[in-house]
Amino acid sequence: MPRPEVRMVTLTIDGREVEAPENSMLVDGAKHGDVEIPVFCYEPKLGPPVGACRMCLVEVEGIPKLQTACSTPVKDGMVVHTQTERVRKAQEAVVEFLLINHPLDCPVCDKGGECPLQDISYGWGGGTSRFIEPKRHFRKPLALSPLVAIDRERCILCYRCVRYSQEIAEDYQLVLLERGAHSYVGTFDSTPYVAPFAGNIIELCPVGALTSRAYRFRARPWDIEAAGSICTLCPAQCNISFTVRDDRVLRVMARDNPDVDDGWLCDKGRFAYQAVHADERVVEPMVREGGTLRPVSWERALDEAAAALSRARGRVGALAGDGATNEEGYLLGRLLREALDCNDLDSRVARGPSRETARALSAPALGATVPDVEFAHAVLVLDCEPMDDMPILDLRIRKGVRRHGMRLVVATSRPSSLDPNAAVSVRFAPGAGEAFLAALDAALAGGDVDSAAGAAGADPAAVRELARLLREAGDDVVVVWGERLTGGPRGEQAARALLNVCARLNLRRDGAGLLEIPSSANGRGLREAGVLPGAGPGWSEAADGRDAAGIARALAGGELGALYLLRTDPVRTHPDRTVWSAALARANAVIAHASVLTEGLLEHATVVFPAESYAEKEGTVTHPDGRVQRLRPAIGRPGGVRAEWQVLADVARRAGLEIALPTGAAATKLLFEAVPFYAGLSLVDLAADGVRWPERDAASALDAPAWEPVELERPPAAPSPNGALRLGTFRPIWAAPEVEVSPALRFLSARARVELSPGDARRLGLASGARVHVSHDGTGVAAEVVVRSDVPAGSAFLHEAQGANALSSGEPRLVEVRPA
Amino acid sequence: MRRYDEDVVEVVRGPQPGGAGGVYRAFGETLRGLKTTFARILEGPVTVQYPEEKVPVYPRFRGRHKLHRFEDTGLEKCVGCSLCAAACPADCIRVVAAENTPEHRISAGERYAAVYEINMSRCIFCGYCEVACPFDAITMGHDYELSDYNRSDLVFTKEMLLAEPLERTPLRAEGE
Ligand code: SF4
Ligand code: SF4
Ligand code: SF4
Ligand code: SF4
Ligand code: FES
Repeated sequence: MPRPEVRMVTLTIDGREVEAPENSMLVDGAKHGDVEIPVFCYEPKLGPPVGACRMCLVEVEGIPKLQTACSTPVKDGMVVHTQTERVRKAQEAVVEFLLINHPLDCPVCDKGGECPLQDISYGWGGGTSRFIEPKRHFRKPLALSPLVAIDRERCILCYRCVRYSQEIAEDYQLVLLERGAHSYVGTFDSTPYVAPFAGNIIELCPVGALTSRAYRFRARPWDIEAAGSICTLCPAQCNISFTVRDDRVLRVMARDNPDVDDGWLCDKGRFAYQAVHADERVVEPMVREGGTLRPVSWERALDEAAAALSRARGRVGALAGDGATNEEGYLLGRLLREALDCNDLDSRVARGPSRETARALSAPALGATVPDVEFAHAVLVLDCEPMDDMPILDLRIRKGVRRHGMRLVVATSRPSSLDPNAAVSVRFAPGAGEAFLAALDAALAGGDVDSAAGAAGADPAAVRELARLLREAGDDVVVVWGERLTGGPRGEQAARALLNVCARLNLRRDGAGLLEIPSSANGRGLREAGVLPGAGPGWSEAADGRDAAGIARALAGGELGALYLLRTDPVRTHPDRTVWSAALARANAVIAHASVLTEGLLEHATVVFPAESYAEKEGTVTHPDGRVQRLRPAIGRPGGVRAEWQVLADVARRAGLEIALPTGAAATKLLFEAVPFYAGLSLVDLAADGVRWPERDAASALDAPAWEPVELERPPAAPSPNGALRLGTFRPIWAAPEVEVSPALRFLSARARVELSPGDARRLGLASGARVHVSHDGTGVAAEVVVRSDVPAGSAFLHEAQGANALSSGEPRLVEVRPA
Repeated sequence: MRRYDEDVVEVVRGPQPGGAGGVYRAFGETLRGLKTTFARILEGPVTVQYPEEKVPVYPRFRGRHKLHRFEDTGLEKCVGCSLCAAACPADCIRVVAAENTPEHRISAGERYAAVYEINMSRCIFCGYCEVACPFDAITMGHDYELSDYNRSDLVFTKEMLLAEPLERTPLRAEGE
């Protein structure tokens, strides 16, 4: 549903004329006249109010009883009083009532000092209680989950956490058990409340009933400072605020930005800050000596790196990945292209479409924003799992369906967690995204759906139904798709099919378009900064080079001599683990920026520069919807860590590039000058919420003409299982080194699991939990079986963790699964 | 070039005394002062021979702080709530709390002060910390002998504050 138009109404609050948007609640309306009405249960982010706590009572002329301001919408000509004796009495009574069973143990409570209950009791309460009877007692504190502690005595039964679990995260785990004064929050069967977004209830709880076990008692509000920055642990790039005490990050909180994250965080973002101070962190430059990495001085490390790169001039490859900023990507490009005469650099895990097609895909007119997802008529989730790939987007999609009547259609190979919300879900064979798009294109154009759908292993009727729904839902259609769709050898064809679909649905309009989820946190920014074979900064023309897979082959074959790894370890993150291991082993020099020594670096890196954590970084990143956001350092860099832009510039200078970079801001300036559509941006403009470049005038620098549907090639048919299983791989949300080294999150770290359909599991004699060996052509990995009823028969989905990327190759594959 | 002449201010002095006035100032005034000196000469010395002798303090004198334990259980009264740190106008208290566990119980509540430090070189002995404490865990003692050779030695740790103070200061008895 498109965004509703906002009309203003005028009402009188405490004798003041106040203009407020129609249909807003009195609590919010009153803010326009600087009148504060105390609330506990009201939280606009949670959707429609429930009126559970009665704290917000006000007097409305013409209505005999006091009204709850959180659930009374403003009306033209309304006259409201918030300061009368009646209201004051009612507020005092509610506070007294809420405190009847509240232990008031503020000194030992972690919320003390930042607690709405304290503030409201102090500001609106009566100061004394007439209640002398013993209070209700519970055992406390209990672990609601390994991450959240619950103190049931302190709970004021506002329902916020329960509503969150039921209506926002939709994990349906938290409920209110028992009745009356004995009510308490918990899960129905007392299993721990573990879910990707569970941590948000800590911030929601207006009292100290739900506290973070990682933060408990670490500091009081007067001991800390808040430092705003961006979470760069995944492409969602949520806006966050670091809580800093004594130069250590102790907590991460949401910094509401409705255009990015809507004020929520996933648990990875909320707790993986612990990796910043983990013991495993690399804080000194290291050089391999006699087979092991040893700490050395910066001078020595820089010299060795530069010498190794210069020796291999013309034969150096480079990869950039998670958390690298635009500036770093830009400098890496200059290091490779200008100082080392190399064109083999990539920020994608597999080859993407050609430069022209990629430009067409990222044309500003075709880009959708995150809020567009919420207000669209229909959203197509295509070959991605937002929950794993860009978690916060999952909540936004759910919100669109629940609150704005958005129609969701899902087309993936792996069953999606959004299926229950979808009007239509279509399954296709793993890796058959191109064939599915060809079928969809045919369905939209009235062509032959059956053959393409057959090649995709999808049900033609379902594809037709999906096409009908997209056509009829309304004009605003947003397609959310994952980078893997256009990766691999047939990426170009898939991208063309996608552009065909866009043209047929006429997505070049406001409120509609494409939203690509890249495979690394700053994937879009790195591409725009020119970390691509054959495309320089701003998708400019550049000499063609090898993509990531090509770099691996060239290294293994000896054509490339050195590899520069900017915050990535291909052995862990890229398909074809074995090829990468061989490539790294053969390389004469592997120079890496890393904060944790993951397996590939531990074995093969020759020079390791300590990487900054996201709490120490400065620079810019680009959100998948084109919003350029600014990272600001929250704490000092530990040990010998240096700014990575500086390290890159130092290496480049030693390798012969003339570049003077006095500050990080100078690097940003160079970047903004080099990328035509970033022209005119400044760090000051980015300071608060970032700026979406596709909305600026400079965006015309990337404008591509409207795509005319082209004749598509016949997509190759997905391999038929014939007793084996089609392999689909995906990266779970918890598969990240930051998760593994954060003590609080370690229990969640991803393991190699393989999802099977019940039929296949029965045929193979396997049950959930069984240890199996998944293999293809002699390469195999050990995994644990998970039987999922919604997995289509004939497919197996492997979680990419613990080396499971040994099996993925970017091309459709069949695997054998047998008991280990 | 700026000229500074105009900034020069003439100092206005009172008239110099004449001959008789000068003589009076030299002798008369001096004698007047000596009158007080000689008048007290018979009273004997009132100087306290510190540090051999010490002036007793009143019971409510605000000297070096003390942290307290419960007498029966031996648990620390301080729960590490940091309220004293919030109240302190000199910002000289640092509290880092931690969680009690059944096996490792330090205080009576859920939390305890893992670090409790007062920087005595900054403290202005206002006693606000004592007023702020909800558990009477910290009180102002009577000790005022806090000098040291090293500034960092003036940061009193929890162990120092919990230890029985040396009570080097005599307390004024009732009615004294
Ligand atoms: S635990 Fe907190 S958020 Fe949940 S109902 Fe109780 S007071 Fe409200
Ligand atoms: S969704 Fe991504 S960006 Fe947002 S908090 Fe989680 S990891 Fe960070
Ligand atoms: S006496 Fe005053 S200045 Fe000294 S620690 Fe206590 S509150 Fe701070
Ligand atoms: S001394 Fe008192 S106020 Fe200070 S932290 Fe301990 S309990 Fe809290
Ligand atoms: S805030 Fe209105 S009833 Fe709770």
